[in-house]
Amino acid sequence: MIAPPWLSLLDETIGICLAHERGDLAERLRYRRARLLTPKLHVLVVGAAKQGKSQLVNALVNASVCAVGDDLTTMAPTIIQHAEEPSAVLVTDRRPAGPPALGAGPLPALSQSLPDRIPVPVEDVARQTSGRADPALRGSVVTAEVGLPRQLLAAGMVLIDTPPTEVAGRNRPGASVADLDQADTVVLVSDATCELTSAELELLVSATKSAPSVLIALTKTDLSPRWRTIAERNRTRLSEIGLQARMVPVSATLRLLAAQHNDKAMNEESGFAELVTCLQRDVLAKPDTLARRGVAMVAGTAIVEVVGPLRASVVEPDPNRSAEAIAKLRSAQQTIEDLRRHASRWQTVLSDETSDLVTDIEYDLRERTRRILREADRAFETADPQVTWAQFEDWLMESLTETANANYGWLLDRFRWLAEKVAQSVPMPRGESMPEDMAELPSDRLGVEELEAPRLEPFTLGQKAFTALRSSYGGVLMFGLATSLAGLPLINPISLGAGVAFGGKGIRDESEGRLKRRQAAARTAAQRHIDDFYLSFTKDCKDLLRQAQRRLRDHFLQVTESIQDEALAIAEAARQSIQADAVHTDTRNRQVQRDLEKLVNLYQRVQALVTAAVPARSAGLEITA
Amino acid sequence: MRPNAELGELVWAMLNEALESYADSPRASDWLRYHMERYREPLRIALAGPPECGKSTLVNAMVGEKIAPIGSPGGVVVSTWFQDGPAPTVTVYSAQAPARELAVSRSEDGLQVDTRGWQPHHQDRVVVDWPTRTLREATLIDTPAIGSATGEEAGTTTLAQIAGETDGLLYLARQPRGAELQALQASPGNPVAESAPINTILVLAKADELGAGRIDALSSAQQVARRLRTDARVAATCQSVVPVAGMLGLAGKTLRDNEFAWLQRLSTVPRQTADTFLISADRFLADSPHQPLPPAARVSLLERFGLFGIRLASLLARRGFDTPAKLSAELVQRSGLGELREAINMFFVDRREVLKARSALLALDGLTRTEPRPSARRLVGQLERLLATAHEFRELRLLATLQANRTGLPAELGTEANRLIGGQGVDMLTRLGIDYEATEIEVREAIGQTVHRWRDIAENPMLDASARQAAQVVLRSCEGLLGAFVEPVRQ
Repeated sequence: MIAPPWLSLLDETIGICLAHERGDLAERLRYRRARLLTPKLHVLVVGAAKQGKSQLVNALVNASVCAVGDDLTTMAPTIIQHAEEPSAVLVTDRRPAGPPALGAGPLPALSQSLPDRIPVPVEDVARQTSGRADPALRGSVVTAEVGLPRQLLAAGMVLIDTPPTEVAGRNRPGASVADLDQADTVVLVSDATCELTSAELELLVSATKSAPSVLIALTKTDLSPRWRTIAERNRTRLSEIGLQARMVPVSATLRLLAAQHNDKAMNEESGFAELVTCLQRDVLAKPDTLARRGVAMVAGTAIVEVVGPLRASVVEPDPNRSAEAIAKLRSAQQTIEDLRRHASRWQTVLSDETSDLVTDIEYDLRERTRRILREADRAFETADPQVTWAQFEDWLMESLTETANANYGWLLDRFRWLAEKVAQSVPMPRGESMPEDMAELPSDRLGVEELEAPRLEPFTLGQKAFTALRSSYGGVLMFGLATSLAGLPLINPISLGAGVAFGGKGIRDESEGRLKRRQAAARTAAQRHIDDFYLSFTKDCKDLLRQAQRRLRDHFLQVTESIQDEALAIAEAARQSIQADAVHTDTRNRQVQRDLEKLVNLYQRVQALVTAAVPARSAGLEITA
Repeated sequence: MRPNAELGELVWAMLNEALESYADSPRASDWLRYHMERYREPLRIALAGPPECGKSTLVNAMVGEKIAPIGSPGGVVVSTWFQDGPAPTVTVYSAQAPARELAVSRSEDGLQVDTRGWQPHHQDRVVVDWPTRTLREATLIDTPAIGSATGEEAGTTTLAQIAGETDGLLYLARQPRGAELQALQASPGNPVAESAPINTILVLAKADELGAGRIDALSSAQQVARRLRTDARVAATCQSVVPVAGMLGLAGKTLRDNEFAWLQRLSTVPRQTADTFLISADRFLADSPHQPLPPAARVSLLERFGLFGIRLASLLARRGFDTPAKLSAELVQRSGLGELREAINMFFVDRREVLKARSALLALDGLTRTEPRPSARRLVGQLERLLATAHEFRELRLLATLQANRTGLPAELGTEANRLIGGQGVDMLTRLGIDYEATEIEVREAIGQTVHRWRDIAENPMLDASARQAAQVVLRSCEGLLGAFVEPVRQ
């Protein structure tokens, strides 16, 4: 036997579902596959409460196997199929493994003593699936399976009566959407006393999406004189919302009566003949048309479910990650840009400030030394260096040391401040600060050289005597000559006296002149010393500053370079990651695109199953790659 | 006995005070004046439910004449108010146009309205004045169907709107669905609605269509109603569940002589023969040699009675209900209208003051929320105190918890408590459960015993706190009985 085309398509879809890690879908499809391969037509009877579902099933098989009553009745689904002898089995909680057949939902706690399958007399089935079940079984019956020798069923039909879809005060749900798609034909039961409600329409919509064949049974036509109007309105409503479902008005009461009296006309009147014809047509159509349609639906739905997330994964290739990388790249680029802008600025600041500092220090030192000099000058106006030199020397040394210290201290302060200022104009991330010793200058290079003593000319006794003699000589001679005129000898007391006087004056003059000379010499010595000190000290300071400036510059250059390197590295990494992402996404997208194309192709083939069989039936699903 | 008089006066005083506080706000004043007027009006009872559940039919059945629905041109659904009035008039109130009166005529078929020139809008309100005793006690509001074309969400809004306009609510359903019950549950977060939780009767409408129109459909409906009454989810939302066959009731109330004659003729046909054409509506309408009625009569009968009604009426005629009066009475009795009337009396009319107070307090609460102001703070305090302390509200709350089976009281005590706090009717004898003509002394003794017993229960340490609290409320109700009983003796 050649496998029908839908089977291979279904298998392909199952494979794809598995490939996309949708085991749940695959499981459902497999279950469906098994159902499709059996030649039996599964007819699911669904509807709201009190519409006559069970009565419809009873009337179909002409046996009271489904619970019928005025209050909520059917508690568990009843599955009716053909059997040579009437038989009935209640399936209780502990069911064999496998996908839930019907009535899946929150189930009451297991009762350990209950066997799984309990055979019961056929007459009892209706009671056991209703609220009047035996207390031991109440609430634990999951399904009832009934076998009846009926021609209708023998043709290959399985009827499934379900509890109402929604009921107040009951937890157990009726047919859910999952159940719907296990059915080949869904019969929605709605009574003819009022129009289809919105809940029923919703149910109908989900049924047409999952079951290949949907019928509406308009029940209780015997009771409602207006059923033709209602049926007409229902048809209008259905065409309004674009549903194509066949509606069959039926009356279970008439059918049962007809069976009782074997009244063919009444059976015809009941509308069941038409319903049976519809169902039989479905049975015949099952291996081909229905199976195709069913596959088109379930496989189509499964493909759409696979396609949805797949397509979503194309559009957004991990936006968070790439956004993060881009943000990193941006910030790195920003850092580099900052560095570039600040590089010239901090260098200018450094050189400007250093030259300012040099000028200031020079001026300060100059001013201080001049003050010392002035004081030294003033001191030597009166003092005799010969006497006070040692004292002066001490003072001068002291003053100069003090000056040097003060000036150097100021220099240090200023330099530190300068370093800080420069540091501020260098963009230093991570709170990096300047190394402590950067602004330190060696403090041991301070030295004031020994003062060189001036050559002082002391007025020795011999010199004094010589000076006295030289000076007195003139006096003696002058007054001796003068007195010789008066007849006195050249050497006489007067001339001697004059000589003494002249000698004394000579000594005095001489000593005064010498003092002046000494003072000048001392002053010159002091001045020279101070000048020397100034020169050497300035030189030292300048050298120091230059070195420090260089060190500072090197340090900051290093810092900025390392920052830049780091930023570049980050930027590079970010760029690479973005690139890699793009490449990855691209590959993935291409893969997804390929998958999508494959799926679309499959979808089209699956849909072709329907269009080939039933032309102009458009599935409401759009897939575009 | 007027235990509610005090509550009524308090609420009236509060409304007046609110009017003073909000004198400067025209919107608030209008709102308050509207509610003061409403406070003095007859009770309002709204009929709500899904489409085609028989709201208008039930209105007709309750009034006893075919006055609903007022068919608006274009099939626009509007809410229709039926109130007592000196002469039949129909007035349309619309937001778009001034109120206008529609020309009416009264015929055998009920109310005929000339709707020409009326451009209906969804927000319109049609007020029908109709002289009848039934409407004197309560105004009936026929509301647009809930959830007809719109979804569940819109249905809830509509129900909330209806609940805001009415004092009591009759919710019609063939089988209450879970979503409907949820929508019916008091809106959470509203202190007034929570304090006085229930003002709803669930009506199992179209009881005659149950069980495929079998002759015992109505007793089946009774059983369904009984089950629903004990269902905690249903009991939490409504005070009672009543099955009604509105069509049957209306037909019974307005049984015409010719109809009676037709039904009698039907009953003369042998049972076996009659059964062949009473199987289905189609068969009844179809011509058959056994059919005793002319086609026009059959159409008319089917339209008025429904297939079930015809089956029942012809059976009754066969069983000896041989005058129109007898048959009419029996049909009305079977339709469940009487029970509905009793339930309405018991839960709505007898509790008129409480329901009116509830509506007024809801309005006040809404006002103080939307327009809070310092001068109204006292009002808010009063409102809260009244809600917390008024015994009537405490009774209602206990009733709700009792019906939802959430008190810790043992079952038999719960039943008695329910009776004592007026769950089965608020008059003294019903509360005491005395169903015979009792003398004054007997009644007094019964009350005395009840008070003693409940005092013991309220102090019983074996019961948990919530049960003792419930017993306290019951005790207070019993003491109220005693007080009310003593008063007239003193006078």
